Amino acid sequence: MEYGLRPLGREKFWFWVMLIPTLIGLTFGALGSILATLGLSLTNWDLLRPPTWAGISNYLALFNNPAYFKALTNTFKFSAMYVPGVVIISLFVAVLMNRKIHGVSIFRTIYFLPAVTSAVATALVWNMIYGRDTGILNYLLNLLGQPSICWLCTKNALMSVVVVNIWGAIGEGMIIFLAGLTAIPREYYEAATIDGAGQFDQFFSITLPLVTPSIFFQTLISSINAFQAYDYIYMMTRQGQGDSSVPVVVFSIYRNAWNFFKYGGASAQAIELAVLVILLMGFYFWLERRYVVYE
Amino acid sequence: MKKTIFSLAMVAILLLSACGGKTTGSNATNNGPVQITYMEWGDPAELSVWKAIVADFEAANPNIKVNVDVSDWDSYWTKLKTLLAANTPPDVFAMDAPLYLDYQSRGVLLNLQLYIDSNPGMLDGLFPNTLTAYQTPAGYFGLPRDFQTIVVFYNKDMFDKAGVPYPKSNWTYDDLRATALALTKDTSGDGKIDQFGYVIDPWDFEPGMSEIIWANGEDLINADHTKTLIGEPNARTAFQFLHDMMFVDHSIPDPNTSSQYGGDLFLSGNAAMIAMGHWAVPSYSEASFKWDVVQMPSGPAGQATSVNSAGFVVGKDSKNPDAAFAFIKFVLSTAGQTRLAEMGFACPVLRSVAESDAFLKQGTSINQQIFIDSLAFAHMKPVFKGYDEWSSTIGDGLTPMWNGEAELNPTLDQIVTQADAVLANNK
Repeated sequence: MEYGLRPLGREKFWFWVMLIPTLIGLTFGALGSILATLGLSLTNWDLLRPPTWAGISNYLALFNNPAYFKALTNTFKFSAMYVPGVVIISLFVAVLMNRKIHGVSIFRTIYFLPAVTSAVATALVWNMIYGRDTGILNYLLNLLGQPSICWLCTKNALMSVVVVNIWGAIGEGMIIFLAGLTAIPREYYEAATIDGAGQFDQFFSITLPLVTPSIFFQTLISSINAFQAYDYIYMMTRQGQGDSSVPVVVFSIYRNAWNFFKYGGASAQAIELAVLVILLMGFYFWLERRYVVYE
Repeated sequence: MKKTIFSLAMVAILLLSACGGKTTGSNATNNGPVQITYMEWGDPAELSVWKAIVADFEAANPNIKVNVDVSDWDSYWTKLKTLLAANTPPDVFAMDAPLYLDYQSRGVLLNLQLYIDSNPGMLDGLFPNTLTAYQTPAGYFGLPRDFQTIVVFYNKDMFDKAGVPYPKSNWTYDDLRATALALTKDTSGDGKIDQFGYVIDPWDFEPGMSEIIWANGEDLINADHTKTLIGEPNARTAFQFLHDMMFVDHSIPDPNTSSQYGGDLFLSGNAAMIAMGHWAVPSYSEASFKWDVVQMPSGPAGQATSVNSAGFVVGKDSKNPDAAFAFIKFVLSTAGQTRLAEMGFACPVLRSVAESDAFLKQGTSINQQIFIDSLAFAHMKPVFKGYDEWSSTIGDGLTPMWNGEAELNPTLDQIVTQADAVLANNK
């Protein structure tokens, strides 16, 4: 596939001149810092004294660190609920929003609003909804004669936080799926209607297979978001002394580096998280080759 | 990944700025005055306090200019570490005593001993307990600026309304419990308690937990900082006592309950008593009710409270250590300490000022003497390398218990094991 014109002669020179600022930024900003982290993960560094060589001891220490293990478990539990939640619900919403109803753009805007609202502000609102004695959710439960639930206590906090994160991500997912849905030719549905297929059959036989590229993309993006989730979690579960009732890996990295003087250990955690994400992405691409339909 | 990459970028920036030379350091020039930077944590109100002190200092030392830089607690430490790593530390910066050794042992602080030796008698008037924290075998790498003893603040209006007598200086923990219970109420009549008898910080030892452990005759940690003692029988008795107040009497709110009030329950008028330090006085002065302070109660092993001091340190790479020390010396002088006391932020470390009207007769009508008297039975908040990680491990570990989701004894067993491992790693 070749699109557009190729640069020729003097244009080539300017082509590179124009690219250089971006390339420098990428090299130092992204690649440089990744390499720096890789290097730091092999040292003991407290930021204040020169780093000393640690070999792989930082990585070995991760196996014997209950706090890190807890954070890793939380990250995986979070992802396992968040990713399917976002994909399924935003696909469902997109299908609903993909019809010619009056005022559909208003609904689309409403669903997209959380994506453009400050996470800190919405987290505060959610804290009010979840409040044990003063929250709206428990007030409604009490009206129905049910006992109050402590939504943000250690036991339920993970689930409550997943709900908020999904709520915040539906808008963006919906946009991706809407784009995918509009690309499906109308003729398929017309032909299916003539053949007597119902709405249900049409969804599973036409929509779902043809929207798999979007599902793949959305799963990928959601997984990356899940592994870096931090803002809502921090705002809703933080406790005294910088702790959280749902500590996730990003949280653990930050705390080890900036609170505990362990930049080497924190770098090792970052690298390990990156490796796990890369493995997961590899698995997704393997799935893509088998199941994703490109027209 | 975005956040991770952000952190990585931060590290890269640090590395680059470390090589980039020192641009923010101030230089003495022949014609202009020497510029130094004083950095500390605090709220905007504190900035005006320090501006006033700096104005006094600059009037007395026309050849030195001081830039005051105030950040909130969390950003302060991040900013400080970044500046230290880039070899461009502020000349003078604030230090919390428990964290002092984490910095001192890493060699980023200037040894002030030579300066102290050339100013004989300069430490004579200071409260000795506040100095201990900054003493090392190699000398002082920092000096206390002010001190904080923990006392009980109580809402007089709430006591009057309930017809409960005010706490007395010789009260006991049993008195505290009975008083707290008598003041725990459901004022709105919706079946839920909305006025609590007593408030503590259930994750930080300083306001509320360490005092009762000491009053029961146990310590938090052993003398050489190798063993956590909060699982010893007497400490368990103390924890059980607070646990009963929280879950039997409901006179102490659990963390989930307090978080719904979004801040300080005492200030919002939802609590009758709170264990707290002098730092709360300025904000409590704006409360709509009358309040006063009383010493921490006594337990089976007598009366006990916690003392901690914020201090000054000088960056080892400071360009103007002489001017930096002159500033510290001024703040510790009678003039500086008097100004600090008048502004109402903390207890002066200079005994003569702490016992003078400047401190005792401030705008508020409370009994300031209590903060000074509490020094007589105060234990020092622990100071050792790795304190932050150790106390975080304990604070984190206690959370499920205070949330009512874990039993007291197994929780303490688990915390002691984890906290001791942290101590071993930080040796």
